[in-house]
Amino acid sequence: MAEGKWGIAHIFSSFNNTLITITDLTGAETLAKISGGMVVKAARDESSPYTAMQMAMQVAEAVKDKGIVGVHVKVRAPGGNRQRSPGPGAQAAIRALARAGLRIGRIEDATPIPHDGTKPAGGKRGRRV
Amino acid sequence: MDIKIPEERIGVLVGPGGSMKHLIEEKTKTNLEIDSETGTVSVTSRDDPLSAMRVMDLVRAIGRGFSPERALSILDDEMLILDVLDLSKVVGTKRDMARFKGRIIGKDGRSREIMERLSGAKVSVYGKTVALLGRAEQIRVARTAIEMLLDGAPHGNVYSFLEKKHQDLAKEELREQGFL
Repeated sequence: MAEGKWGIAHIFSSFNNTLITITDLTGAETLAKISGGMVVKAARDESSPYTAMQMAMQVAEAVKDKGIVGVHVKVRAPGGNRQRSPGPGAQAAIRALARAGLRIGRIEDATPIPHDGTKPAGGKRGRRV
Repeated sequence: MDIKIPEERIGVLVGPGGSMKHLIEEKTKTNLEIDSETGTVSVTSRDDPLSAMRVMDLVRAIGRGFSPERALSILDDEMLILDVLDLSKVVGTKRDMARFKGRIIGKDGRSREIMERLSGAKVSVYGKTVALLGRAEQIRVARTAIEMLLDGAPHGNVYSFLEKKHQDLAKEELREQGFL
């Protein structure tokens, strides 16, 4: 593969997990992907910022071997009728990607926003927050 | 990158004579463009897109009722995150809203203070939202405590829950430092 290529880092960050997928610029070809459970054993640690850092480091190594020098970042929270703000792993992951030697291009929010969609979970009176 | 904050918080973000705005811009090497009519703030960064993201969080925190001094801690500690709970989805009527906010704040802000001290997260009740600023674990604790209050748990129970979690957090911190 030619040197000096850019990719896109798709970072999905919820309160339960973090997923990092790095693709080429079209977004159709996955170069590397990783999830919280691949790094850490306890389920409650899957979303932690420390885990996200380790994940970002591993994924950055894998992707640098394939000739990627920098990534644009798309951050995504669960969205829809769930939280709109990214979980704890997002920031940590981006920072770790930068520290692992990848250049960071644009950062974009890719959280799906409903144009009024389905009824949120929790019944009529709602799960109290 | 754009965010909207309430009009009455714009003055806080700009500061007396623009001092706050300049401080933020200088500290983070970003540009803040503030439209005081609509409340739209757009953040552009000269070189580091990450710092723009931090500033977005900072602006959002100020917009959600944090004082600038408390919000500025975002810039100093990288692990801090901002979490905003929207009460309007939970609470139906105006009277309920006032009641729930009162429960979270407590008499003379006592409940909120205890929550801040024991969880370590900073709490701001403003408008229809409760904003939390802290580390991921701290936010998780504070969030559960607030959920308990909204569910109608007595304050005493919530305090003892916080007390318990406070010890857990302290232990966790010790363990982490032991590893490092």
